[in-house]
Amino acid sequence: MTSASAPDEALVLAAIEQVWGSMLYASAEPWPADRPAEFESGLQAQIELRGEWNGRLVLTCDSEVATQIAGAMLGVGPDEGLEQPDVHDAVGEVLNVVGGSVKGALPGTSALGLPGVSEVTAVPSRGESFVVSWGDAPVYVQIVPDAA
Amino acid sequence: MTIGTQAFAFVRELVRAESAIVLETGKEYLVESRLVPLARAAGHPDVDAYVADLSKRRTPAALKQVVEALTTNETSWFRDSDPFTALRQSVFPALAKTRSNRTIRIWAGACSSGQEPYSIVMTALDTPELAGWRVEVVATDLSDEMLDRARKGEYSQLEVNRGLPATTMVRHFERSGLSWRINQSIRDRVEFRHLNLTRPLPPMGRFDVVFLRNVLIYFDLPTKRDVLKRVRQVMAPDGHLFLGAAEMTMGVDDAWERVPAGRSSVYRIREEQRTCVP
Amino acid sequence: MRAVIVDDSRAMRRIVGRILGDAGYEISEAGDGLEALAVLEGLESPPELACVDWNMPVMDGLTFITEVRKRPEWRSITLMMVTTESEQDRIVRALAAGAHEYLIKPFTGEAMLEKLDLLGLLPTSTGV
Repeated sequence: MTSASAPDEALVLAAIEQVWGSMLYASAEPWPADRPAEFESGLQAQIELRGEWNGRLVLTCDSEVATQIAGAMLGVGPDEGLEQPDVHDAVGEVLNVVGGSVKGALPGTSALGLPGVSEVTAVPSRGESFVVSWGDAPVYVQIVPDAA
Repeated sequence: MTIGTQAFAFVRELVRAESAIVLETGKEYLVESRLVPLARAAGHPDVDAYVADLSKRRTPAALKQVVEALTTNETSWFRDSDPFTALRQSVFPALAKTRSNRTIRIWAGACSSGQEPYSIVMTALDTPELAGWRVEVVATDLSDEMLDRARKGEYSQLEVNRGLPATTMVRHFERSGLSWRINQSIRDRVEFRHLNLTRPLPPMGRFDVVFLRNVLIYFDLPTKRDVLKRVRQVMAPDGHLFLGAAEMTMGVDDAWERVPAGRSSVYRIREEQRTCVP
Repeated sequence: MRAVIVDDSRAMRRIVGRILGDAGYEISEAGDGLEALAVLEGLESPPELACVDWNMPVMDGLTFITEVRKRPEWRSITLMMVTTESEQDRIVRALAAGAHEYLIKPFTGEAMLEKLDLLGLLPTSTGV
């Protein structure tokens, strides 16, 4: 494992900006470090990268934000009642596209897993993540190498 | 669904005020298609509702977005495809028969971020009649920022998705982080220069082919006429001019005639006018 | 014109389905390559177009394309990969396996229509 092939924050943020912009018609900005970024219950999506660097990208956001992301992706309003499986699938696909972009930019990364999505009740630690904006709400992103 | 008259009028006035570009009646579809993403992002069901809201609030940032969405040049590769097919199948082969110095010079008159001049070079490379020929492309634009981008030849994933055949992409581009860079051998054939079409042209030599697509639509009639006259001054008498599909010389500068070229058409200086050009 | 959309994400199938639907296509869907083969078997005549994701459970898109290319009766189907796999060697592999075009996610509706235009598969003018 070389550090040159590990995804860094700048690359993942750039991939997110690209996906937010083209699939969701939204901009993603880095969330100020001193701004609170709490929420109660949320949704967490993960995708594995395999190759010279092995690990996963994890995206965590508030349930309401997840519904908004799915709505923006599918072009449906908040009143049109997206079911939970639709929301899970849409957020998973958003992360899949982010993961694919990151993989393509990293020489030596060979495989991308299938996205997994689950409900979570704890916000990730800010020390172990970086936070980007979805409108006025925070989205946590973690770059998690496999345990050595 | 098309944009309503009132909404179109508001957008037209806004764009005219901010950019001196005139969106004539008939350009409703352009306004509609460019504003749909903005309307959607702002949570409006359609462009009319979005524009109605915009005209009430007049948020400067939102107004600026609208102007930019309507004045930014389209940036597809091989844009509209037909002109490039015509170039490869009829224009280049015809020139190959008449240019004894085995050199073809082409001017791309509003090159924006470079997709058009690079597409011209890739088309020349795909033309068997031009194998071993020298192909020089001069690409000009009003914006120095665009010219810098074009010179770099680096494009985002979204940009390389636009109209670039996959085979061409893997042949002429290389991955560079999240972006793609067009190969040096293609970049070397294009010279990028700053140029304002509404002013007299600097010395730039004679061109066999001129691309000036979707530029005239933004000018008023006298400016269109001036631009077309200047193009005649730098074009070989038997040269070929490509305009946008919605543009024509008729009623603007009648020294030109429209000639079919494949599924597209090209403009040529009328025989009787060719001697008048110094 | 008819198209089969093969993608494990229903959101993506819906997005692609809407773009193609607006362009005048009749749509069938499948969530993986094996299901897509079954969908093709069930159609009376082959569709003009298949849009195929790469990474899917059960049978991936590359295998699906290879399978389709083995069948002479499906030779008329135009195959377009629509995937987030974006390395140069991946694109070359897909083209070698028989894909006709390759659209990288994320993409916009206009980008997909331009690809269809390249393939001569744009049935209606969209006015864009």
